[in-house]
Amino acid sequence: MLFSKRSFTTLAISGLLFILAGCGGTPDKNPLLEKAKTHYQQAEQDSMIVTKAPVALKEAEEQLEKSRQLWKDGADKELVTHYAYMANQKVAIARQTARLNAAQDEVERAQTQRQKVLIQARKAEAKQAEQRAQKAMQQAREERQKAQELSEQLNNLKAKSTERGMVLTLGDVLFDFDKASLKPGGFRVVDRLSNFLEEYKDRNIRIEGFTDSVGGEEYNRNLSRQRAASVRDALLDRGVNSQRITIRGYGEQYPVASNGTEAGRQRNRRVEVIISDKSGEIPERGQ
Amino acid sequence: MCIKLPFKTTMAVLAGSLLFACSSTKPPTQKLAQTQAAIKQAEQVGAQDYAPLAIRSARQKLDKAQDLVKQKKYEKAKRFADESAVDAELAESKALSEKAQKAVDELRESIKTLKEEIANEQQAGGTQ
Repeated sequence: MLFSKRSFTTLAISGLLFILAGCGGTPDKNPLLEKAKTHYQQAEQDSMIVTKAPVALKEAEEQLEKSRQLWKDGADKELVTHYAYMANQKVAIARQTARLNAAQDEVERAQTQRQKVLIQARKAEAKQAEQRAQKAMQQAREERQKAQELSEQLNNLKAKSTERGMVLTLGDVLFDFDKASLKPGGFRVVDRLSNFLEEYKDRNIRIEGFTDSVGGEEYNRNLSRQRAASVRDALLDRGVNSQRITIRGYGEQYPVASNGTEAGRQRNRRVEVIISDKSGEIPERGQ
Repeated sequence: MCIKLPFKTTMAVLAGSLLFACSSTKPPTQKLAQTQAAIKQAEQVGAQDYAPLAIRSARQKLDKAQDLVKQKKYEKAKRFADESAVDAELAESKALSEKAQKAVDELRESIKTLKEEIANEQQAGGTQ
């Protein structure tokens, strides 16, 4: 390069002036710049800020560099301080930005977790519902089985379904002639009945005795009642609780056949055992 | 390269460039508008509640910058506007991060409550 002597002088003078204008000498340390340096270094060593706010950190670095350069060049203190301030604030922004990003990540994680908890809850609920359904089905099966067993038992007893419930009839032939005492065949029926009552504890019975129309009314009523009592006593002997049994003697009331023939009269001489439903209640004979 | 300029021209250019370096000739109108917008944005996300000091500092510096513009001290005005903008930015990021942290806390709390409710329900369900 070639300069004229005059222009060289001009340059030299203006350069000198330039340095003078920039305060000159070795500058004192700028406290805010020192603070910015420290803050920046701390941020730079914080892995969360480095990974979650790299842009803001870079901006802080740029401002810090400007401040540092100006200080080195001996620029005006106000300028150095300005960029140091900017650097400081940028570091703070980087810190907040990192916190914000971390929190947002956390929100996402927490939402996922919440979803999982809800799904688990639903699964647990479904499992419970399934278990309840299974249990209900099992119960229904058991009920059905019990009902079937009961109907088999009642069949064995030769009980008939009537309006008043299941009714078992002990015919005249199961009793001694014109007496209340049971014959062996009658005891067999009583055995079955007591087995039934042993198994179905919630069921009660009423034993009702009837006769034909032959003989005095009073006599017939007594005989019918005694026959019912015989059945009851036989059941009590077999361990059935007396509270579960009631007896009635109706005599010649409520015939089931004509008393005009021997066959009809025989059918009228009978003992009926009414078996209650689960409630244990037995409606009285319609008056 | 060799450039030879008359002495007067050299001096004039030098003086001009020195002047230019010392102070801007135009007011930082755009910068002021941007700063104003930054403050507004920060306030909209709740800077008043979450970063009251930073947002106040931003406002004061913007006022100062506007004063300096009136005094035609454009360079200095721009610096104040820059500082005001960075204060506003800090206020905004602080407000946002505080709110996000709050959201995290609330979400965690809700998960905890949810878990407890489920546990209770299952216990109740078990004894049915």
